[in-house]
Amino acid sequence: MKKIINKPEQFVDEMIEGILLAHPDKVRTPGDDRRILVRADAPLEGKVGIVTGGGSGHLPLFKGYVGRGLCSGVAIGNVFSSPSSQQVFEATKAVDGGAGVLYLYGNYGGDVFNFDLAADLAELEDIPTRTVLGRDDVASQPKERKHDRRGVAGILFAYKAAGAAAERGDSLEEVAAVAEDVVEHTATMGIGLSPTILPTTGALSFELPDGEMEIGIGIHGEPGIHRGPLETADEITDRIVGALTEDLALESGDRVAVLVNGMGATPLEELYVVYRRVHQALAGQDVAIAKSYVGEYATSLEMAGLSISLLKLDDARLELLEAPAQSPFFQES
Amino acid sequence: MRADQLKSAIKASLAELVAYSDELRDLDQALGDGDLGITVSLGAGAIIEALDELGDDATPSEIARACAKAFANANPSTMAALVAGGLLAGSKAWAGRDDVDVAAAAEFVRAAGENISQRGKSQLGDKTILDAILPAADALAAATDGREGLAAAVAAAERAVLETQNLQSRRGRASWLQERSIGLKDPGATAMWRYLQSWEKAGVLAEGAR
Repeated sequence: MKKIINKPEQFVDEMIEGILLAHPDKVRTPGDDRRILVRADAPLEGKVGIVTGGGSGHLPLFKGYVGRGLCSGVAIGNVFSSPSSQQVFEATKAVDGGAGVLYLYGNYGGDVFNFDLAADLAELEDIPTRTVLGRDDVASQPKERKHDRRGVAGILFAYKAAGAAAERGDSLEEVAAVAEDVVEHTATMGIGLSPTILPTTGALSFELPDGEMEIGIGIHGEPGIHRGPLETADEITDRIVGALTEDLALESGDRVAVLVNGMGATPLEELYVVYRRVHQALAGQDVAIAKSYVGEYATSLEMAGLSISLLKLDDARLELLEAPAQSPFFQES
Repeated sequence: MRADQLKSAIKASLAELVAYSDELRDLDQALGDGDLGITVSLGAGAIIEALDELGDDATPSEIARACAKAFANANPSTMAALVAGGLLAGSKAWAGRDDVDVAAAAEFVRAAGENISQRGKSQLGDKTILDAILPAADALAAATDGREGLAAAVAAAERAVLETQNLQSRRGRASWLQERSIGLKDPGATAMWRYLQSWEKAGVLAEGAR
């Protein structure tokens, strides 16, 4: 295992320490537990707080989206492991500005367990919470079981929209409705070429023979829906865009936001080769791209691969995407 | 039982419960991370303190809610959060009540168990605290008198704890032991049993109490 780390068990804490040292004007840790980060100006009086969280190993997800116009706080777990209920609760208290807190995170069992427990703890402190789960991975469940899907890179859209809604002063119910609406209209599919090595155990996140690709892979290496010989960028893109447009039932004249996301070890050049084809494929169906993101937004350590996310837009969603936002890893001005 | 009597009874029973914390620690060391003893002893102390600070006009629901909050924050852990969530659910089942009887106790224990089951994604037989809570709720629900109900609940919980020795742990850290967990009593279920016993030992239910 070749990694630029110190002791594997210190990997997460040292990474957080680095973020805090690099961006003291944007994020801070509210108490003694470094596994909790909040935006530097939290809590914002009278505004809804948004707490997210999940395992480490996905930067910029989740902790990278704490900032103005985005999430207010994050609880950070070990690599690919949930944070504790207490950490979520501490983050909740630190960002509560008196208008309640939205829990917005990806649909994974361990995270749901701990966030639900934290919601009970918050209720005991008279902090109302609502929960919206990112569940955009179309390969993880068929459309009939949409509510059981895993959450992956497309949660970026929900962070952006809900964060903007909270920033403009929407109520907790309204912010939750915005997040739910965006999740409902987001679809993502990924492809994996090579696995991640987990720093603590040295184990591979999945196994894939040389020369093969896995379409529909999850961000922890969960199996996808098609494994076969590696195809060209255009063929891969057509497969994924075809599945996404069908899932979202996109029609001629629709507008979308596009996210082409690198999983950690795929060059930006390849992401743009893919973006080019996404543009062509959507143009061919008379679907316009009103907003685009290309880069690393949700990774799986050094996994090679990428994902494509589409958000079907209306005026309200587009306006929220275009609102200003700033975190150590994300900027919209 | 009136609200002020309930408050004293909870305090007296928790004072008894602390005597079991070493047993709970040892059981949890074998199956989990060994912090159940400290969770129970610090939790009990925190609840007693919180109830002392609670006003005399507190309703049974408010008393239960104060217990939940104190227990959650005394020694934070997944177990503490699960129990606190259970107590919170129980407090909601008591909304609007001025006093409690054995039927109310059954409702409380049932609501707490259901919340723990839902939050913990656990079922009867998974070798968790639920294995003692649900039979205890049934025993309370079948009783008409407080003392009789408590005795039946203690007996049901004890039977359930002994039965957990034959079970394999299916939830939490203990599940990592897989078949090696068979033969050991579940610490969570034991804690529930010991807590019911503590009510008996504290002698807080008068003859014929409902």
